[in-house]
Amino acid sequence: MRLFLKDQWPFAAFYLVQLVLLILIFSLDGYWNPSLMTYAAFLALFFAAGFLVMRYLTHRAVYQRLSQPIRSLEELTQTHGNSAFSRAFDEYNLEQYRLYKEQLHAYESKQRDHNIFIQQWVHQMKTPISVLHLMLQDEDDDKAESVREEVDRLKRGLEMVLYQSRLECFEQDFLIEPVSLRSVVQQAVAENKRYFIRNKVYPQLQVDEKWRVESDEKWLLFMINQVLTNAVRYSAGKSNAVTIRAYERGEKVVLEIQDYGIGIPPEDIRRVFQPYFTGENGRKYAESTGMGLYLVKEIAKRLAHEVELDSAVGEGTTVRILFSAAVPTLQDRKADES
Amino acid sequence: MSTIMIVEDDPKIKQLLQNQLEKYGFRVVNVEQFDRVMSVFAEARPDLVLLDVNLPKYDGFYWCRQIRQHSNCPILFISARESKMDQVMALENGADDYITKPFDYDVVLAKIRSQLRRAYGLYASPDVERTVEVAGLKLFMERLELNWNEQRVELSKKEALLLEALMKQHPRVVSRERLLEKLWDEQFVDENTLNVYITRVRGKLKDIGLEGAVETVRGAGYRLKAAWEEL
Repeated sequence: MRLFLKDQWPFAAFYLVQLVLLILIFSLDGYWNPSLMTYAAFLALFFAAGFLVMRYLTHRAVYQRLSQPIRSLEELTQTHGNSAFSRAFDEYNLEQYRLYKEQLHAYESKQRDHNIFIQQWVHQMKTPISVLHLMLQDEDDDKAESVREEVDRLKRGLEMVLYQSRLECFEQDFLIEPVSLRSVVQQAVAENKRYFIRNKVYPQLQVDEKWRVESDEKWLLFMINQVLTNAVRYSAGKSNAVTIRAYERGEKVVLEIQDYGIGIPPEDIRRVFQPYFTGENGRKYAESTGMGLYLVKEIAKRLAHEVELDSAVGEGTTVRILFSAAVPTLQDRKADES
Repeated sequence: MSTIMIVEDDPKIKQLLQNQLEKYGFRVVNVEQFDRVMSVFAEARPDLVLLDVNLPKYDGFYWCRQIRQHSNCPILFISARESKMDQVMALENGADDYITKPFDYDVVLAKIRSQLRRAYGLYASPDVERTVEVAGLKLFMERLELNWNEQRVELSKKEALLLEALMKQHPRVVSRERLLEKLWDEQFVDENTLNVYITRVRGKLKDIGLEGAVETVRGAGYRLKAAWEEL
């Protein structure tokens, strides 16, 4: 209504001015008949008002549409009445919608192709890594150890790329099932054992076998790997332990990974979950991509887990992954029944 | 002697696998032309097939289904794809197990042996035991036994792994990191635990009359010293 009034008031003003001018011309010419003039003015105003009301009724939908923000592209396909103006308006919108969709589709398919390419490429790169891995297996000298270290770095880098690109098609790529926290943590520790040893940092595992949570094993393993490699990287040379524990907090199950390393400066803490943010520590240490914690947060969001991070400079960092209620084990169920 | 057919398009992986398997007494048949998988299979009649998923022309799943029409022999997939979906696909196409790249020799060997055992019974697996020998000192990795000069001593799994590393590397030094890595499987091992194991191994060597055979090299690691050779 307001938009309609705003749109039409110049017309109304001009019309009134015109009417007054008309009466003025007649009266200046000496013709003065108040009752007839009032009647004529009334008729003119009546038809003008009638025109505006009609106009409003037939175009109301369009005016309403124009005065509300668009929330989704699909709203552009709605129709707004039958008048020539409404139809033109609808057609214009539809045309716009089509053009946007076309471009969107083009970009989506480009993105998809790119993702497929990345994933295929990562898998292809695993062949040379396998060859190196096999060739090094029977070698025990320092040089081989050093090459092994580099191969590990390549593996970690590739893994990051693979998971980053998988995140794009997460909806088709996860399976929620009961996961044993202890076994995932053990797997993560085993995958990183060379990294632990090389940095002289040793994990302390305080995760009871009873903790089982609803999650996706593969994604969870990736999350733990990221947090663990951070913990080791920022502990090296300062502390020699990383504690991994699981416990209950209210309804939730918490998996906590605590290191006693250099910690994160307070001005950086807020931003550690942002992509490509490396902060002060990232500048001091090699191999910080700024993607690890961002990916952890993104994956957690999709799996409906929460992530918390506490840190104090010089004391260390604690990362917690919070899961909704624990999955009861068979023994629990039996105990409940009896 | 069991025959193993390797269908893998990367020549180096193929060669490395072949060498390793032959070392453990398997006969290995390779596929060179990837449109002739079935005729090689029919000719060689392998006891087990190692199959890569990504192959030129047809993929591993296709060949797995083809082989299944003729034979029930165990088929192990080797693939770079580690997702559950891919593993399920492999099993649904008739495979018996799935190994992801990059893999360890130990894992491949263990899986091959367990599949052979399941398919043909114990007798079929070639009993070439992993042994290491240095100047008459012989270590049996499966029996966990150490022999020297008619004397025998039993070892724990970790002690055997430690000795294996030292003996294989003889006479060079093995770093502490490398030893930690060897010992560290499900249970992680820290430096103190390594010291304990080293002491135990020294004790066992002493039991069979080899005192001072494990030498500490400061700042580097440990070395096996075959001082008994000169006796």
